[in-house]
Order: sequence, then C-alpha cells, then structure tokens
Amino acid sequence: MKINYLFPHRFKVIGLLLLIVFIPIGLYVVNDDIEPEIFDFTVPAVFVDEIVGEQFVFGMTENNMLNEMIGVILILSFLMVAFSKEKQEDELIAKIRLDSLVWATYVNYAVLLFSILFVFGLSFLWVMIFNMFTILLFFVIRFHWQVRKLNKSLSYEE
Amino acid sequence: MKNSIKVERAKKNITQAELAKLAKVSRQTINAMELGKYVPSTVLALRLAQIFDTEVGKIFSLDDSDWS
Repeated sequence: MKINYLFPHRFKVIGLLLLIVFIPIGLYVVNDDIEPEIFDFTVPAVFVDEIVGEQFVFGMTENNMLNEMIGVILILSFLMVAFSKEKQEDELIAKIRLDSLVWATYVNYAVLLFSILFVFGLSFLWVMIFNMFTILLFFVIRFHWQVRKLNKSLSYEE
Repeated sequence: MKNSIKVERAKKNITQAELAKLAKVSRQTINAMELGKYVPSTVLALRLAQIFDTEVGKIFSLDDSDWS
C-alpha cells in the first residue's frame, strides 16, 4: 500500500539550499552568457546541430558545460524540494500534493499557450528555457502555500 | 459526508493530537475530517473505527451532497 515516489524529508532542505545558491548563479550565467574556459570540455553527444558548424548524430563535441551543469543542478534541486516527504506525510498531504500538481500543470501550460501565441523570436527561446523549470516552481509554491494554509487552519479546541 | 469523529473522540476522552497519533496521521488531518473538509480513505476510516471500537458506518454517514 505504501508505494510513493518521494525523497526523505531532509532532501527538501538540501534542495532548497541548492536553489538559493544556484538560481542567482544560473540567471547571471544565462543572462550574461558566461562561459569560463575551465568549463570547456569535449563531451559525448547524441545530436549536434549547430546553426553554423557541425551536424551529426552520435559523436564527440566541444562544449562549455557550465550552463548544462547549472541546469542539471537546478532541475534536481527543484525535484528535491517538490518531491520530498513532509515531516508527517499522510493521505491529506498526498491529496494536496496531487491537487497542486494538477494546478501547476494547468498554470504552466496556460503560460506556455500564451507565450506560443504572443511571444516571438529570441524571447520565445527564453520562455522555453524558463519553462523547463516553471512547472516545478509553480508546484512548489502552490503545494507549500496549501500546506501552510492547512497548518494555520488548525483550530485549537481539543 | 457527515462524521461523528468529534463525538467518538469525546466519548473516549482523547485529544485530536492523541487520535492523530493512534491513527498514524497528522493532527491537521483529524481536524480537517472533523470540520468536514476532508473525506478519509477507506483504510483510514477503518483504522478510526478500530480505534473507537465501532463500525465505519457508525462514524461516517452519507448526506445529500454525496449523491449529486
């Protein structure tokens, strides 16, 4: 009966700390296109399709890995914050989790639909970059807001 | 769905927190059920019945909105 796909509670704190550190770094790196040489690597690739440059399937390619590394860290951190157990994980929390996931999916795709229709050119690329993280961001905000509301609603009569 | 958790709890003279511990859920969940804001799973309903030494049907009952 007790199958769930959640991390232990402590992962939430680890994820949160990583987010606090890496969100500003990520925004800075992407916005200012920071590519320090120490992050230049020759890496295995499945698809390479440069606008001006090489095109192939399966091979090795030169790439600055900084933005990839930050992307991976951010996604894993968001997953940890989103899907770690609460201190007391019970069926009401599970229901709030599911509701929030549905809500976040709708909101995320509402934003994406709006962007598909009204955002063009390079700005749309930015939308796609942020969209990698926003579904988890929306979920995290809504879920914790609902849990907070639940804790606050506790009436103190015994 | 209506329930008499609060009444049963009073009969047994235990707090929400104590019932929560026995039923292995949070106090928030007990509170939400007493306020009619949360309908428990069958497992939790059966657990509560066992704790109160009664039957599920004695604690929970349908109301009109459950048929709409």
